[in-house]
Amino acid sequence: MKLVMKEWKLCMHPMGYIMLMCAALILVPGYPYGVSCFYMGLAIFFICLTARENHDAAFTLTLPVSRRDAVKARILFCSLLEILDLLLIGAFVLVKQAIGNMPNPAGLDAGLALMGDAMILFALFNMIFFPIYYRDVNKPGKAFLFAAAAMFLWIVLEVVGTYTIPFFRDVLDQPDPRYMSDKALFVFGSLALFAAGTAWSIQTSAKKFEALDLSL
Amino acid sequence: MASEMRAPLRVQGLCKYYPAFRLEDVSFELEPGTITGFIGRNGAGKTTTINSMLSFARPDAGEISFFGLAFPENDREIKGRIGFVSAGMTYYTRKKLKAITEVVKAFYPEWDGQAYQRRMSAFGLDGEKTPAELSNGMKIKYALALALSHGAELLILDEPTSGLDPVSREELVEVFLKLKDEGKTVFFSTHITSDLEKCADRILFLQQGRLKADDTLEGFRDAWRIAECGKEIPAELERAARGRCLTRDGYTVLVRKEDAGAAETREATLEEIMIHLEKEAEEA
Repeated sequence: MKLVMKEWKLCMHPMGYIMLMCAALILVPGYPYGVSCFYMGLAIFFICLTARENHDAAFTLTLPVSRRDAVKARILFCSLLEILDLLLIGAFVLVKQAIGNMPNPAGLDAGLALMGDAMILFALFNMIFFPIYYRDVNKPGKAFLFAAAAMFLWIVLEVVGTYTIPFFRDVLDQPDPRYMSDKALFVFGSLALFAAGTAWSIQTSAKKFEALDLSL
Repeated sequence: MASEMRAPLRVQGLCKYYPAFRLEDVSFELEPGTITGFIGRNGAGKTTTINSMLSFARPDAGEISFFGLAFPENDREIKGRIGFVSAGMTYYTRKKLKAITEVVKAFYPEWDGQAYQRRMSAFGLDGEKTPAELSNGMKIKYALALALSHGAELLILDEPTSGLDPVSREELVEVFLKLKDEGKTVFFSTHITSDLEKCADRILFLQQGRLKADDTLEGFRDAWRIAECGKEIPAELERAARGRCLTRDGYTVLVRKEDAGAAETREATLEEIMIHLEKEAEEA
């Protein structure tokens, strides 16, 4: 917990707060809402960039903590930001439904299924970004490139899927409260993927960081 | 065995291999309450040694223990008892010192807030400032204030005096001497050997990744003599020479004390010993 607080107090980049506000993109008509999750990935990239510029890895390892603790704290902190982003997305979905939710021609509608979609995007980001980042903490750009590409592909799949894949088109992209039990299953499945993917990311990233020679 | 248990730091057979550099079989032990100078030219492997000692870089071989505890197996306990300061490393340059301190102190149950305030005041540091607003010397002092406030018994400093003006260096040397009087053990790497002449008890000399000397300051200096030869080096000195340097008045030659014979020689400074031995290594 102390290390997570350290992440917030010393490594948090202002872009983190700004990108959280991108959850408000849900209010924009005809927009691929998954992109708001991509912006959170960008904020995490900025956090890691700030960490590099401030020699955060070396600083952290002078504290009485293990390398594994350091990795766990960073990923948990970023996951907390993602969860906060999910909550904001959920809040804006409710606002949009209250003021009149029009069908979205650019991907999933603002509804329950969108929450599951966002969790899949964050799971993908965590599983790709952190294991690559912890192979060399001085190169967050490379990790972001791969993670952003994966998120982009999923967003494309989701947008195209709402026209071509029956489950997306006929179930997930239908206005709430239709097919709520199917959508709830989709959300629980996505939540499980997010939790398991993040846990896997911590394990894998910690192993990479354990083997890393820091160039001070 | 008893001395091993007490040694603030014991390094045995430390090796670290990079494609273009090899740190080979470095072994030494620090005595409590002493100042040890770790000297060598730029690129000799001082920072690699420290990085490997502290597991910033993973050693390829060797055993490291602090206070008799194996490292990194006991890293949390050990890091609570040591402080590391690197001149080349500035953390969170735009954060206020007090914000950094707030974070750091949470990790140390034995944090002494009064000692911290005392050190900050003695070093003339203002918690409202950021590292970016501090001189290099003040940054080192802030790092020392942090380390000393969590009760660090061993201070490891990488090139703390490098880049400082002579007055700031003198101030830091005085700080080290006071810390020694408080019973702290200080280990610092430097290529500015004149700082060590003023404070070091022991010298470790690293050359091309190998530890070439581990001796008291007096023992290390007493082992060598300098001959000032003019433009021609006498044959008997030429044979005994361990490196020679060209100066305005001719050559200076480093010789082992026992090889000096009847030649006119004088005491060698740490800097002269290091430079001549590096010259010898270059010529070889």
